[in-house]
Formats: sequence, structure tokens, C-alpha cells
Amino acid sequence: MQALESARTLVEALERVAERSGRGFRFVGVDGVERFYTYAEMWRIAQERAAHLLAAGLRRGDRLALVIGENDQFVLSFLGATVAGIVPVPVFPRGAFKALDGYLDVLAHVCRAARARAMLVTESSRSFAERVLERDCGLERILRCETLFAGPAPSAPRVPVEPEDLCFLQFTSGSTSRPKGVQVRHRNLVANARAFLGPHGLDRRDDDVGVSWLPLHHDMGLIGFVLGTLVCDIPVVLLPTESFGRRPRLWLETIHRHRGTITYAPNFAYDLVTRRLKPADVASLDLSCLRVAGCGAEPIRARTLQAFADALRPAGFDGDRALLPSYGMAEATLAITFHRLGTPMRVDRVDAAALRAGRAVPAGPDAQAVELVGCGVPFPDHELRIVDEAGRTLPERVVGEIVTRGPSVTSGYFENEEATRESWREGWLHTGDLGYVADGELFVCGRIKDLIIVRGANYHPQDIEWAVSDLEGVRRGNVVAFSTMVDGFESLVVAAEAASSDAPELRRRIAQLVQERFGLVPSHVAIVPVGTLPKTSSGKAQRRRTRMLFEERALAEHP
Amino acid sequence: MNRSELLDKFRAMATEIAEKDFSHVSEDAVIADLGIDSLGMLELIGTMERDLGVAIPDDQLVGIQTVRQLLDVVHRRLPAA
Repeated sequence: MQALESARTLVEALERVAERSGRGFRFVGVDGVERFYTYAEMWRIAQERAAHLLAAGLRRGDRLALVIGENDQFVLSFLGATVAGIVPVPVFPRGAFKALDGYLDVLAHVCRAARARAMLVTESSRSFAERVLERDCGLERILRCETLFAGPAPSAPRVPVEPEDLCFLQFTSGSTSRPKGVQVRHRNLVANARAFLGPHGLDRRDDDVGVSWLPLHHDMGLIGFVLGTLVCDIPVVLLPTESFGRRPRLWLETIHRHRGTITYAPNFAYDLVTRRLKPADVASLDLSCLRVAGCGAEPIRARTLQAFADALRPAGFDGDRALLPSYGMAEATLAITFHRLGTPMRVDRVDAAALRAGRAVPAGPDAQAVELVGCGVPFPDHELRIVDEAGRTLPERVVGEIVTRGPSVTSGYFENEEATRESWREGWLHTGDLGYVADGELFVCGRIKDLIIVRGANYHPQDIEWAVSDLEGVRRGNVVAFSTMVDGFESLVVAAEAASSDAPELRRRIAQLVQERFGLVPSHVAIVPVGTLPKTSSGKAQRRRTRMLFEERALAEHP
Repeated sequence: MNRSELLDKFRAMATEIAEKDFSHVSEDAVIADLGIDSLGMLELIGTMERDLGVAIPDDQLVGIQTVRQLLDVVHRRLPAA
């Protein structure tokens, strides 16, 4: 490990793990076929791809959009770009049920915001991704893995890559209204990987095996199971997200088969897989190998994790030691706080009414209570505070905004000073999340921003509102999208102003549009009389007021 | 398998996956109206693939909105009886 610890960049780390023979990454295809690459092969292929990319005219510092659905092609191309000093910009490949138009809007927007020179695709993504050229995307060309990387690599000089250089741009959501690319530098990545995989995080062991189906265009999958694990030498098994979607149990079967020790997922996935498990599945699984089952990326529900642990106890899973709630965000590279490894998760039962007023008071036996899960403490050299609107530190059990600083915190959004200034203030990253600290441990309890998070994915209400606003029959600009909790899960509600005669038809069309465009199904579509949505003085519909009315059942809806 | 058996199969699978009663859902139903999101759809397709022994590639699913359209795709790919 000593040689590894001196690596200052992803490229140096890759070069060094390449010397550890026999270890590497295992990629499972959608057809179930596995391909194993040793670190040495990954290093060799990355160097070859770097040479091909340079020969294609790309230069150090250029941005290269990656729209690649196959995990092995994605990882090898990403590493190749990095070795050449080129900055990859991962973009999600189009989902099966989403309309092409909306997807191309997002893709074009990301390419523009990143000022990407080129886009790299594979045959499977080319057919739809190349249509981005019909829009204002600023791309000079589209490159194809199959042709670009065929044939012997030209010789190329080694490109210097420094800790201060951009490693990649992480776009935080598929928002068309405000795409923001987080600038992850090599030094941020290395600092964060060593923090969350080091002694105060998952405490990496030589026999660790990571298992993940998380998408690689998202920080938890990309850093958690590709880049961070390379920096710290943890072999992984990567499943396609789509395979998990088609068969959730495959996740646990893969952990069993490959003796996985570390896995991670958002809350919804633990819930989904628990509901799908049958006693026969549990009987055929041995998960005693799994020492870390981490949870993050969306609000964590204590009961979900407990139900998962209960269901899998007969399979040897020890929830008291393995469940690891955590908190993080792309702006801080990935991880901000981790629950202490090997200890039972902490559940804080607080008074619901007091919490609405900003105090986390332990609930009495008869009070309406909210259960919150402890997400742990920040890593060494990193700091976290809870602050009020004036930026003053709040005492324990008082709710405020979570702010953090340290070597993992990135320097802001790519060429977007306005958004950067909004979130980075006086040296601290303002997360936009609400939380409190109790006995030193962080509890996350809401958001200041109006972001909607469903099944680990972020949606900007504005995007949904704009899309719905374009529908015929909807009063333009008079649409509000917000999230509400249904049975402890965040879900989407859309409220639109329209005439009562259109209500039944509009409810259907709005649900359909939102599903096509965003892959989301609203838990409720409210058609309200014209002029009844709460507005600001400037006439903008108010999300929080509307949500409150809806939750108090005071929103007047057309039948 | 004929069309009405396929519809019954769909109803049973959708009921299990969405945990709602879909035993009377018609072919004209719009999938979004059933409260099945893209992840639920994917799981439904995966279940059909395994149960019926068919492969349904993603590109066949683009633009599908109704139960009828989905069953058309599946039906076309069923091995001839």
C-alpha cells in the first residue's frame, strides 16, 4: 500500500496498481457474460486509448463527453482520456422509456455547459446520441470507440497530469434549466477516496471485493466503485444498472457468488430488493461475506434498512455491523460523512411538530414522531457545521444548513461563477441540505433547495414545470412541481391550472408526459381552477406554499 | 401462447411488481396511468423475459405507452408455438 499512498493523481494511482498482479475489475454484461481485466491490462488499454485520443486531435484540458452504456467501454475510455490529460464528462445514456427530444435537450445542454470538443460513443449509443448535432451543442465531432480504438496505438508522449488538474466534470443532474458541472480535480478525488476507504471510512482490507450496479455517470457509482477503488486498490464487480432494474435480486446473487465485501445503494434499492425476496432466495444466499452495505444519495429511512437486515439475517447478513448510512454530494467529490463502521446504525426519534419549527427534540411516547438516521461524522482534515441564515454555527439539535470544507470539497462549477458563488461562500460549501448534529453525529432532515429526489435521481422542479406548461389546456406558467412524502418515500406531485372540463384528460396527459420525459410517475396530479395557485408578488408560482396547501388538503382541485 | 393468455400474464406480473391490483387492467390502459414508473417497467420486462423465454432489447421499448403496445412487442418475439 505504501507505493499507492504516494500517488497524487488518478493516473499515478492506476500506474501503481498495475503492478499488483492478478487483481482487477470484473465487468458483467447485460447478457450475463463476465469480462475480467487485470489492473495491468486496464493501464495498458488506458495508455493506448490516450494515444488514440491525442492522435484524433484532442489536447490536454479538452473536455470529452462520454455517452457510453457498456460499463467496460465506459471505464476504459474514461481512464484513457485521463491518461491523456483530457477531461471526461460522463453523460447518462438514454433510458429505454424516455422520449428522445427531452434527452437530446439535456445532452446538448451538458455539451455546451462543458464546452466539450467531442463526444465519444459506442455503436449502441451512436444512433440516438449523434442526433445531438442537430442542436446547438458546440461539438466539433463525434468519435466512436469501435473505430477510434481499433488498430495499433500510435506512439504518444506521456502527458503530464498534476494534482491540480481537472480529473473530470460531474454533472449533478439531468437538468435542462441549470446544468452544472462540478470540477473534480485529481487532488479532490485522491483526498476523498483515501478518506472514505481509509481507517475512518470503510477501512480497506486486502481481501475486499466491491459489488455495484450503480450507474457510472453518477458520483456514487463512478467514484465509489471505479475511481476511488482504483486509487485504493479494491477489486470490484460491476453489474449494468439495467440488469439490476430487470432483476433486482441479481445484486445480492452477485455479492454471494463473488464473495462481495462492500456494496452501496440508495434507500429505494434496499426497499425494492427486500420486497422482491422470497424465502427460497434467502435460503440460497450466503451474505456473511458482506461487511459493508452502505446507503446514501437520497433520504435514508431507518425502517427500510432494518427490514433489509431482518430479511437477510438468515443468509448470514449482520445488519448491526454492516449497515452504513452516509451523506455526501458531488460538490464535495462524493463522501462528506460516514456512520462509524461496525457499529449499529443510530436512529433518532424526534418530535414531528418541534422538527417543523427547527428543533430536533426527542419525541415522547405519544407524540407524532419522525425517525431520522445518523449519517456519522466528517473525515479527518474535513470540517462540518450547521449554520443559520447569517452563517452562524448553531448548537446541537438545532436544524440549519449543512456546510463543509476540506480537501475533498471541489472548487465549484465549471465556467459558472454565479452558481459557484451561490454555494461556495467564505471557504465553505453550502450544501443546500438541512440537518442537525446530535452527540457529534449528523442527521439530515430536508432541503433548502426545491430539488426533487426520487429513487436516487435528482430532478429540478423547473424542468417538469416547463414541460407540463407547454401542454395544451394548461394555463402557461401556472404549474408547480414539488415532492411530498408518501409512506416515508419522496414522491412527485404536479399541480396545474386549467379549466374544469379538461381536468380528467389533462391528468392523464400530464402523467404520461412526465413519464416519457423524466421516467417519473407523479403520485398525484392536481388540476386546480385558474388563478388559485399561490403566487409571489412577481407572479411566480410558489412551490413551498403549494406543497403546504396540498399536504393540509387545502388545495382546491377540479374533480 | 395466445394474446389473452399474454394479457393475463401481464396482469399477474404487474400486480406483483407494482403491488396494486391490476387483474382487470385492459390493453388500452396507458402504462403511466397505472403508476408504473420506468424502473417498474424495466422490472416487468425482465420478469416477462425470464418467464416467457424471450429477449426484449431496449430499443424495442422506445415510445411504448400502452399495455397493447408493450404486449405487441412481446408477442412478436415469442417463439412460434
